[in-house]
Amino acid sequence: MGPEAFKLLAAGCYLAGAIAALVGLKRTEVREGPWQHVLLGLGLTVHSVGIGVHCAQSQTHFFTSIEESLWLASWALAIGYLVALVGWSLRSLGALMLPLSAALLLISFAFREPGPPPSAGLAAHPLFTVHVLSAYLGYGLFMTATAVSLLYLFEQALLKRKIFNYVFRALPSLEKMERAETLIAWIGFVLFTVAVGTGATMAKRSGQVAWYLEPKIVSTWLTWIVFLVLVVGRASGRLAGRATARTILLGAALVVCTFFLAHPFREAADGQSAMAPARTALGRGEGER
Amino acid sequence: MSAAPALVVVGLSHRTAPVALRERLAFREEDLVEALAALRQSAGAAEATILSTCNRVELYVAAPGSPAEVSLRVRAFLSEYHGVAATELVHALYERHAAEAVRHLFEVAASIDSQILGETEIQAQTKEAYRAAAAAGAAGPLLRRLFERALFLAKEVRASGGIGAVQASISSAAVQLARKIFDDLKGHRVLVAGTGEMARGILRALRSAGVADVVVLSRTLERAEAFAQAEGGRCGKLEDLDAHLAASDIVLVSTAAPHYILRTEHMERAHAARHGRPLFVIDISVPRNVDPAIHKIADTFLYDIDDLEEVADEGRRQREEVARHWTPRLSQEAQALLNEMRDPGPGETARDLVRMGDGLREAEIERLRSAGQLDEAALRQVEQALQRMQGKLLHGALAALREAARAGDGAAAVQWANRFFRLSSEDSASATAGGEKAASTPEQAPQPAAERAPR
Repeated sequence: MGPEAFKLLAAGCYLAGAIAALVGLKRTEVREGPWQHVLLGLGLTVHSVGIGVHCAQSQTHFFTSIEESLWLASWALAIGYLVALVGWSLRSLGALMLPLSAALLLISFAFREPGPPPSAGLAAHPLFTVHVLSAYLGYGLFMTATAVSLLYLFEQALLKRKIFNYVFRALPSLEKMERAETLIAWIGFVLFTVAVGTGATMAKRSGQVAWYLEPKIVSTWLTWIVFLVLVVGRASGRLAGRATARTILLGAALVVCTFFLAHPFREAADGQSAMAPARTALGRGEGER
Repeated sequence: MSAAPALVVVGLSHRTAPVALRERLAFREEDLVEALAALRQSAGAAEATILSTCNRVELYVAAPGSPAEVSLRVRAFLSEYHGVAATELVHALYERHAAEAVRHLFEVAASIDSQILGETEIQAQTKEAYRAAAAAGAAGPLLRRLFERALFLAKEVRASGGIGAVQASISSAAVQLARKIFDDLKGHRVLVAGTGEMARGILRALRSAGVADVVVLSRTLERAEAFAQAEGGRCGKLEDLDAHLAASDIVLVSTAAPHYILRTEHMERAHAARHGRPLFVIDISVPRNVDPAIHKIADTFLYDIDDLEEVADEGRRQREEVARHWTPRLSQEAQALLNEMRDPGPGETARDLVRMGDGLREAEIERLRSAGQLDEAALRQVEQALQRMQGKLLHGALAALREAARAGDGAAAVQWANRFFRLSSEDSASATAGGEKAASTPEQAPQPAAERAPR
């Protein structure tokens, strides 16, 4: 069974989980049943095995193609949802997170062009794997916090408009969602800081051009600052309610920018490799397109 | 019977009018005596009661004339008294006549017509409305029987109709909403402005949901102290509302003030200090005490009495079921009560019967006392025995009279009772006087009863 089959199976599990989450908005017995846990657990297992098989077959832990990036991003989102589900039982979040995970996996089938072969220098760098994993997991958690914030703002709008429909009944309290979005964003911030730190270390070694000339790095720093403001604001009690959710949304917009400004999307867009200087320095440009 | 006063109810409720109109037609507790007097004069009413709650304003009136004429006079009174144009009230006001009016009160008191099924406040409010009317001399025997029966049935509905199990009271709706905003109410502060019964009910519900930190504010410190002492919490004066807003999470407003006590400027000042922490404001006052504009302020959620119904949709579904179950019974009860009230004959005959029994018993005791064969202790025992016997003997007859009266067949029952017990006025009088003619032997006549058979 190839990695493609695992990917398809994982997407199927996520879609089934999304349907369970959507039905659960209306029907309490489905919402409170074990469906989401089972389907998410199954999907994540298959997803992880698929990634493992892919790494084993291609002899690489790099995710340099669009297909691989979407694949790993989908996995990070599923992990983020797992954290929200285990930590706060935010089952209604599945209606947002699981379709997104499934969509990323399915979209990845449209980008079958293989990524560049691994650079020996980068592959050998001990921080690179940490950088990639912490960045993706950080993104995943930020996006999970964003989904919680969207639910928060949606429930707040329902409360403001005094609409007491089945979605309103299915949503958890505002306070619970605020706690969840803050802590998830906080964990994401720690991981993202690790990614930024390892990235900066590697960039320093690569003798890269000034950081402010690199849009991805500028966007990364802006993202980091927004989430730092969030963490400090929440810790000091100066940020709460709608302002918290909006700050997370701002951070999320920057996360999306950072993700798409990064390799390999930027490469696809303008034919340049954002990783080129690093690869050149660390791997002498081996295997570069 | 044609001279009997027409019984009508004219009013408006959450079903027919928004809170903005209800608050304009609401009667303040302190104005009730004056309002009742004005109503009686204006509608030419023999009896009147005003039930004014957050959800309804209803005027129960017994007045000579046709029901339509009486209703018109009551409508005119409402319009004039509150200075609201009659055209504004055309669609909001409803009226019920005779048995329909009786049934309506039964449903109101039993909380079947309530905004939130099973809410407990309405029973107390109905009782209070009657008490106020009685104290003002506006409620006579007709309304007394009507309200007594309504309250009796309300208890029965609550006890056996499953209505109490719905637990969809205003209080629990408020708690449900609070839990949508705050996950755990334990660490949140509740600010109570006003010391009314509804505020007490909601506060108790919030307390059982975990609220521990309570601040009670009232116009007078004594009231706030008494409330805080009874329900737990600290107290203060209403003037300090501003100072408490920033630190509170739930604000419960229930004062009798005829104006807004919480305005946008208060909230904006508090909002700056709250740094975006949500604030849940419950305004159960009618007229409203919180400016509706505060709902527009970010992270502030204002809910009035109308909004609480939306929350308790589960209760609404069950209301239909309970209403379906109870409506035929309440209609039957309403018709029966009206029959009883329309035809005083069976009631008078029943009273004659009891009087006759009492007279016979007292005469027998007097005869034994005169004979001097029994001491006082023995006489008391004999009297008690005679009382029990009287009760048992008359019970069937009295029940039959009552059933006949409720079924609208009182005349036949009265005739039957008069013939059976020889209850002509002459007979009754002589029986009461000496007992010799009506009951020469104990076997020939019903024995005295101390306890009146239940009515």
